[in-house]
Amino acid sequence: MLTRKMFRDMGCHKSQFISIFLMAFLAIFIYTGVGGEWRGLQKSVDEYYETSNLADIFVYGNNITKEQEMAVLNLEGVTDVARRMELSATILNEKTLYLYFVEDDNISKPYIAAGSTFDLNDTEGLWLDKRFADSNGIKVGDTINATVSGLKFSKTVRGLIYFPEQVYESGSDSMQPDFSKFGYAYLSYKAFPVPDYLTYSTLLIKGDVQEGAVAEALDNQYSVYLEKKDHASVSMFQNEVSQHKMMGDIFPVVFLLIALLTMMTTMTRLVSNQRIQIGTLKALGFKKGAITWHYVAYGFALSLFGAVLGLILGPLIIPRLFLPSMSSFYTIPKWQIASNEPVYYAVSIALVLLCTAVSFLACRRHLSETPADTLRPKAPKAIRHGLFERTRLWVKIGFNAQWNIRDATRNKIRSFMAIVGVFGCTTLIVCALSMNDAMNDLKKWQYETVNIYESKLQLDSTITDEQIQNIMTDVSGEAIIEESIEIRYKSNKKTGTLRVTDGTTLIVPTDYRMNPIILPTKGVSITGKVSEALGVKKGEVLEWHIYGDSDWHESVVSAIYREPVNQGITMNREQFEKYGFKWKPTAILSARTVSGKYDGVESITLTSESIKGWDELTEAVFIMVYLLIVAAAILSVVVLYNLGLLSFTEMERSLATLKVMGLKSGNLRNLLLTQNLWFSVIGFAFGIPGGLKLTEIICSYSGESFDFPISSHPRTLLISFVFTFGLSIIVNLMFSSKIRRLNMVEALKAME
Amino acid sequence: MKREIIRFQNVTREYDAGNHVLKALDNVSFAIGEGEFVVILGPSGAGKSTLLNLLGGMDYATSGEIIVNDKNIVGLSDDKLTEYRAEHVGFVFQFYNLIPTLTALENIALTKKIVKNPIDAKEVLELVDLSDHANQFPAQLSGGEQQRVSIARAVAKNPTMLLCDEPTGALDSETGVIVLEMLQKLCRVRGKTVIIVTHNSVLSEAADRVIRIKNGKIREVSKNPAPKAIREVSW
Repeated sequence: MLTRKMFRDMGCHKSQFISIFLMAFLAIFIYTGVGGEWRGLQKSVDEYYETSNLADIFVYGNNITKEQEMAVLNLEGVTDVARRMELSATILNEKTLYLYFVEDDNISKPYIAAGSTFDLNDTEGLWLDKRFADSNGIKVGDTINATVSGLKFSKTVRGLIYFPEQVYESGSDSMQPDFSKFGYAYLSYKAFPVPDYLTYSTLLIKGDVQEGAVAEALDNQYSVYLEKKDHASVSMFQNEVSQHKMMGDIFPVVFLLIALLTMMTTMTRLVSNQRIQIGTLKALGFKKGAITWHYVAYGFALSLFGAVLGLILGPLIIPRLFLPSMSSFYTIPKWQIASNEPVYYAVSIALVLLCTAVSFLACRRHLSETPADTLRPKAPKAIRHGLFERTRLWVKIGFNAQWNIRDATRNKIRSFMAIVGVFGCTTLIVCALSMNDAMNDLKKWQYETVNIYESKLQLDSTITDEQIQNIMTDVSGEAIIEESIEIRYKSNKKTGTLRVTDGTTLIVPTDYRMNPIILPTKGVSITGKVSEALGVKKGEVLEWHIYGDSDWHESVVSAIYREPVNQGITMNREQFEKYGFKWKPTAILSARTVSGKYDGVESITLTSESIKGWDELTEAVFIMVYLLIVAAAILSVVVLYNLGLLSFTEMERSLATLKVMGLKSGNLRNLLLTQNLWFSVIGFAFGIPGGLKLTEIICSYSGESFDFPISSHPRTLLISFVFTFGLSIIVNLMFSSKIRRLNMVEALKAME
Repeated sequence: MKREIIRFQNVTREYDAGNHVLKALDNVSFAIGEGEFVVILGPSGAGKSTLLNLLGGMDYATSGEIIVNDKNIVGLSDDKLTEYRAEHVGFVFQFYNLIPTLTALENIALTKKIVKNPIDAKEVLELVDLSDHANQFPAQLSGGEQQRVSIARAVAKNPTMLLCDEPTGALDSETGVIVLEMLQKLCRVRGKTVIIVTHNSVLSEAADRVIRIKNGKIREVSKNPAPKAIREVSW
């Protein structure tokens, strides 16, 4: 019979209980949904790395000998080693094919998607990047004609593969992988066109070992030592996963808190409104345990239903939203969804227990009273005059304000919750819009302010000075050098790009506000991100070396500039040559759209295409933005409506009295609206910095190479304002019909 | 009779009670003069409260006319009814219905929000002998005191009539007497029309006019040629 009472009570407090249910559901839905997504990503990639036996350490050098390889293998902790040759070839005119000639395929093995298995004795075969093959219409059995440093050779495609070091294909110039322009291939060392020239540039190591030991084994004859976690493909994917993980962890906590707060207020009120009923039940002889369980069951049942539904729907729906954009960006043979993890059940059980515990806490006080006490009407809550009321201003602010100040201070938890609700809503909406802004600003910064060239011609290493001159004249170009470097300051290291300019006008250095600045001619300039990551300031000395060259150079930092995507060092030609380097451009920039074919040019990147790539890359972010906006709307409507309903129920008698006395409905509505607006103003004021901070945190998870310009756009603030206050007013309007329909006679009849 | 101020003319109020129609008031007619002390008597469920609610503009008559100050209030819109309540009616409730978050004085000052020229709150509070309690909240006042604040609040609007629904129903008899004396004083000294709904027939001795009602019908309307003072009534 008590169960029947429970369901009827729930019917009477529909909206509160629905929102508890909804919040419990959303918490678990998002936790398991986003959790299923990122855990799925993690699982997919972990299994991929595991089965392909991805190398733990990558050592790059010029010529790694058999003796050196053996010396490393003999190190303690090293379980396996392999050498390979890596070089870049040009095929189909200007597409880049990155070639791995392996001595052994024990480490970093390819995943064969089509064709035959890899054969180390195959001298004529090549295993090709599946996505490159697909977007260029290449099939198993086709012949590939490639050019390496002017040398032409052909191979037959034996199979199509995925490669664990190319989960993120960073080969092309833009952020977004372009599978039609860049690919890779896997070959046996026996397939190397000129066996006499075969030298191994890369040593792959499996096992656990320190750089010092490896360096010793190699006699310091190497240029780069890279751990798996720092490998571009691995770290890019890992950043993505941890970004998703963070969202999946933060948002459920917000919903859980709201669920608990709603539970607390609803149950406290339900129980105190039913104290006479409780007393009656006690007097009838119901055991305390039975009555306690009756009330605790509300929290238990609601959170249980919510959690179970979330548990079922979360992993089913959310991962599918992300999959399209994830799989267009990353390459993994099998995408998985972690839909069934023990931690989901643990968290769900914890949530149910928490909600149950909170509903127990909320009703414990009344339940421990004696039946006689419980049956007596509750002593009214004592009110005291606050300090403010003693001031003169108090009399001046008028009835409306007086009423609301008293009501708000008398119901501190409710007021606090309302503010938290609005704060949460504003935070989410500001964060969503700021992320959108940051993406657009970054695009504008990168492609309209910094890179004002339209075409970038990537030069072959074999190009002659004369060819360069000809091209420059032909496209009115500017030559620059761009090299991958490693930067060191004290014990901190970071990879980056070295850019050497020569009167360059098509790349414009800027400050954080995106205003163009002029870099000093002496010393080197570094990007803000490098400065932050290494802790190096203007006037201090850092060290750097070009990948492929083990000599370190010292430079004084003479300026710090900011760039959105490319972090590193910039210096001019004169400075560069002082270190003894020869001026040998790696790229030519042109303001024109260059489409012709030039000898010595490896590839041409058009800015318009890069922008397209960027738009695709940001798709995943926009999904997140929409999710956030929806969450913000649900959150604020649920919280504000509930609290409005609570205060409405509590004030019903007072409102009815006022109405009987002749106060107009409009005045009553304003009475309720005033409080709502106050809370909205406070919540909104805190929500703006909250939202910007949240954006900053989320952006910081997107990796070290990005420098997001986070700022509060007036437009964003305006939209957030309209959104937050609009919802607040809409919720208020929901009550205006209630006020109109308020039954004066009923409301005033009796006390209970 | 002094100037007629209220007239019920064939007033019927029906409620739809599912499968049958319930007549809470059945063809009721009576009149009340200005400045009278009126008691409406009847057992529970007789239709007393319905009558009061109709007169107070909180409910709609199914048929008939209710003339207050020469104006029919039956058929007025919600807004007009609200105006009517504000201008003409001062309510005194059984359970006082003070706003718990406002002090005694503020509860009375509330009338400033409702009518243009209310009587000064302090003055009315003095009228009910509660000047010392001006800054106390309802929860800090006794039941009798709360009811007096409630009366003061009703009077402050300077309404045409005071409508009191079992004003002593929640009070002990001694406190009840004080409250009723207050109401009678307002009638005699200030010339307010006071209408009290009660099931306590003793009160009829103090009234100018007694309206007895049963099963939704008027049983008797009688004028009392020599109404007693509240203290003289044998409780």
